[in-house]
Amino acid sequence: MIDKETLAQMNGKYVMPPDAGPAWRAAYEAGVDMSLLEDSLKRSSWERLLANDRALGLVRALEKTKAN
Amino acid sequence: MESLTEILKRLHDGKVEFSLIGGFASRHYGVTLVTEDVDVCARFTPENLRRIESAFKEFHPRHRLTVNKLPFELTDELCQVLKNVYLNTDLGVLDCLSQVAGIGDFEAVLQKSELTEFPFGSCYVLKIEALIQAKQAVGRPHDLEAVRQLQVIKEKNEQQKN
Repeated sequence: MIDKETLAQMNGKYVMPPDAGPAWRAAYEAGVDMSLLEDSLKRSSWERLLANDRALGLVRALEKTKAN
Repeated sequence: MESLTEILKRLHDGKVEFSLIGGFASRHYGVTLVTEDVDVCARFTPENLRRIESAFKEFHPRHRLTVNKLPFELTDELCQVLKNVYLNTDLGVLDCLSQVAGIGDFEAVLQKSELTEFPFGSCYVLKIEALIQAKQAVGRPHDLEAVRQLQVIKEKNEQQKN
């Protein structure tokens, strides 16, 4: 049986890290997806830039699909 | 094929004097917003402009904001009057600015930049504090969204230092 807290997290409840500072809390309150940001910060700078290239490729592919 | 990392490498390999600013610099620091261009602040001397021209010659560079998408072909006269270069290339969009809002000219930008290692070599990147300052000065909604994330990243970096 899944407990209530785990289910809430599965459904999108964000758990603030214990070391979250004022900027972190403010960004969360403003609606930034902090989980995506956390994942991004686990990567190296170069990995993040390559990820942007891939994301941009996907954007262009979607634009082409829309145009057709 | 579009590749913003290749644009950065070309600038480096072409010995262009520049500092990475804008959305791609934000991505370097960890911001999650996808950017569609490479923005740099460059030294606007004829020599450096010629280096930019040479670095992208084979990628069909065009002045993307001109109505007829004029090819990026420098003349001595053009080198004297250009303040910015907004290019569309086969590798993607490259915007070269001589000044950055909230920071100043290339020398001011360079003072607020740090040499950063990439797999192909090192390039100057505008420091996170200055990037926040520049994006706040521009103030468009997506800049302010990036500022929110940059402030989080700066805070986290400071926590890790202590």
